[in-house]
Amino acid sequence: MQRNPPLIPPSEKRRFDPLDRNPGMYFKQERDLSVHAIAPMMGVFVVGNESIADEVEFQVDVIQQTKLEAIDISSNLAFLREHFSSALRRFCFAVYSHDFIFSMLNLRAEQVDHPILITECVCNPVQSRSKLAELLFEGYGVPSVAFGVDAVFSYKYNQQIGVCDKDGLAVWSGLNTSHIIPFVNGEPVFEACCRTNIGGYHVTDYLKQLLSLKYPNHMSNITWEKVEDLKMEHCYVALDYASEVRLFQKGAKEAEEKNRCWQLPWIPPPAEEPPSEEEIARKAAIKEKQGQRLREMAAAKRSSRITELENELQGLEFLLHQLENVQENDVPSFLSETGYISKLEIESAVVRVTQSLKKAKREQVEIEEKMDPSMTEKYTLINIPDNMLSPEQLKEKRKQLFIKTTSEGRQRAKQKRFEEELDRERQNELDEKKRLENPELYLEQLHAKHRELSEKFEQRKRLKVNGTHTNESHNSSGGVGCGERLNAAQKERMRLLTTAAFDRGKGEDTLGTRDEDWQLYKLMSKDIDDDDEGQDEDEAELARVTSRLQDIDPTFVAKSEIGPFQTIVEIPRFRPLTKEDFQIILGVERFRCPEILFQPNMIGIDQAGMDEMAGISIRRLPLKGNSVEERITNSILMTGGSCLFPGMGERLEAGIRKIRPFESPIRVVRASDPVLDAWRGAAAVPFSEQTFSRQDYYEKGEDWLRRYNLRYTF
Amino acid sequence: MEAEVIKANILLPTHLSFKRMQMSDKYPKGYARGRHWKHLKQILQAENYQNFPPTDPNYVNIESPPSMYPSKKFCDITGFEAPYVDPRTTLRYANANVFKSIRSFPNEHVQRYLSLRNAAVVLK
Repeated sequence: MQRNPPLIPPSEKRRFDPLDRNPGMYFKQERDLSVHAIAPMMGVFVVGNESIADEVEFQVDVIQQTKLEAIDISSNLAFLREHFSSALRRFCFAVYSHDFIFSMLNLRAEQVDHPILITECVCNPVQSRSKLAELLFEGYGVPSVAFGVDAVFSYKYNQQIGVCDKDGLAVWSGLNTSHIIPFVNGEPVFEACCRTNIGGYHVTDYLKQLLSLKYPNHMSNITWEKVEDLKMEHCYVALDYASEVRLFQKGAKEAEEKNRCWQLPWIPPPAEEPPSEEEIARKAAIKEKQGQRLREMAAAKRSSRITELENELQGLEFLLHQLENVQENDVPSFLSETGYISKLEIESAVVRVTQSLKKAKREQVEIEEKMDPSMTEKYTLINIPDNMLSPEQLKEKRKQLFIKTTSEGRQRAKQKRFEEELDRERQNELDEKKRLENPELYLEQLHAKHRELSEKFEQRKRLKVNGTHTNESHNSSGGVGCGERLNAAQKERMRLLTTAAFDRGKGEDTLGTRDEDWQLYKLMSKDIDDDDEGQDEDEAELARVTSRLQDIDPTFVAKSEIGPFQTIVEIPRFRPLTKEDFQIILGVERFRCPEILFQPNMIGIDQAGMDEMAGISIRRLPLKGNSVEERITNSILMTGGSCLFPGMGERLEAGIRKIRPFESPIRVVRASDPVLDAWRGAAAVPFSEQTFSRQDYYEKGEDWLRRYNLRYTF
Repeated sequence: MEAEVIKANILLPTHLSFKRMQMSDKYPKGYARGRHWKHLKQILQAENYQNFPPTDPNYVNIESPPSMYPSKKFCDITGFEAPYVDPRTTLRYANANVFKSIRSFPNEHVQRYLSLRNAAVVLK
């Protein structure tokens, strides 16, 4: 009989290290000469096919002649997370992983010559088993295969080292599921086993969702791997969820201490130093120089223009002077050379040039004042009564009258404008005072007014748009169609027309034959679009109110005119981003996420939590009596990657104590190495006698696997 | 290949001596791999558990039943105890501040919170 050499557990196995960014593969060779060479050695592979602690760890132990290799492969392959319910169904991943393992072991032979022990979930469907067997036999040429449950292996191992007893309960929490398996006499009782479909995957997923909903702008930082790290480092199970949560709700100091803060990398924007003294001085000097330059340019231009005008004036005066010397008859011919037609023209040109010269010199128009005295001279004729004047003078008089009235009108208009300005100024001042007195009230009033106006505006616009739409859809002729008589003026017009037309009667339309009929149009208002004027006013008012609001209220934004149903977007306050914006705080989430293992209802899964499951499992035991239950509760073992949460043991104990009778012995222990114990247990089992060999596979077929059950004790 | 990928040693050679059929032969390059894996439900159905005595443990048997205790209601957003429910969105909330923030959520947020609880509106 072949005996496997004493197992030397691989030491310093590197399991998943939260801070490790590059998992890869860790190869550890141990040439341990204490392993005795037993010939012929049969290499035995133990492949753990269970997802432990959120990843698939494949541990392969090859017991060979002189070497003890332990390869601990942590492959952080993302797609392997999809193992639902731990029943292997995507065999491509199994293929990949097996390829990986075997190639890592540097197998050179044509086929894999070693028996393989594969761990599976509890009550694995036959199809899973058979497909895997097929893969191994056909694909790799494995001589024989055995299947076992990983939780059981873990328990057996711990039993071996004395952590738990022959009778007990294994609480296994894996990636996708959690199982509870009672043991009686060292053998698992599968009839009483209980499974909930919640595992580490769900916890991580829950945490990830919560964080991304709470901090949507950091979603790119909240990756699956990072969240797993966070979960392993910071999550814990609260002894009593309700009371813990109340602590946080009250905002107690212990709650503050329990908050963990994750600072994302953040670079503060380069601080703009307030410009130093010399900077300011320099800038001022530059501005001054520029101003100076502009002023010089303007002065140069002005002086050149002045010289130009002076030259022109001189020329004209010379011309005048010459003209005096010339005789009457020669005037036209003389002037034709210069381009002026008459002396009057020259004189007016002179006047014009002098004026512009004076303007250029003094930059101040005092023409109006000058005009007035000149005007009053010209009004001389007005006061003289008509009959004393000659017809020419009458014409002059009429002209002067006309000029006078127009200038007076202009003056009056100017006066009115001035007064209006004053008025508006006064209004503004009053407004300001009101605002300073009671800013909130003022603001509210302004808001209300703005709302009113904008609504009115929009309504009118909508009506107009609707009117034109109906017009287009009905394809009526231009002018007022059937849907367009929308305001009072248009309605009145129509009414007048209809009454006038109605008066005729006699089956004939004779409206318009008489002249009086056309007076009807005088009654109508002149413009059809009368509302446009009103609208313009309102528009101006609205614009004014809007601008005022924008000045005063930093959070106000004008409603866009596109549609009244658009949501108002607040202008984001452009305050500089601080360090706190880049922090993610884990407070309640720390114990809220692992809580779903005990209360799956929080996630919507309608099953029992772990403590309740224990009660169910004990209830389901087929043979009771002989105080089996007490012995079972006396040794409860927690294994599996997801039982690494601090505080889980106490919580389980408290939960089970609630169900069990008073003062029954309850002892909850954690496995020595929850993550890798399954492998160790599997390595210790002598399974070479209990394999399903290739012969069997060809003869009995896969369905025989249904009856395959590994015996775990030896 | 980048240096770190090579160092991590996760790549496999294309021809593995112990395999009877190489991956590259099975899936030649350029062929779309239409892998259709059976769903768990299909697998379980094909098992025909009803032909066997019901006391035998099988994959379906050992599943745990719904919890006997009534579920405690916790706030969807903060995690505190939630005595109230928002009628418009059916989210549970703990106090008025949370309620205010709930009402300002876009619909997508609301659905995501509900889907955490498996209560989202799923349109098929």
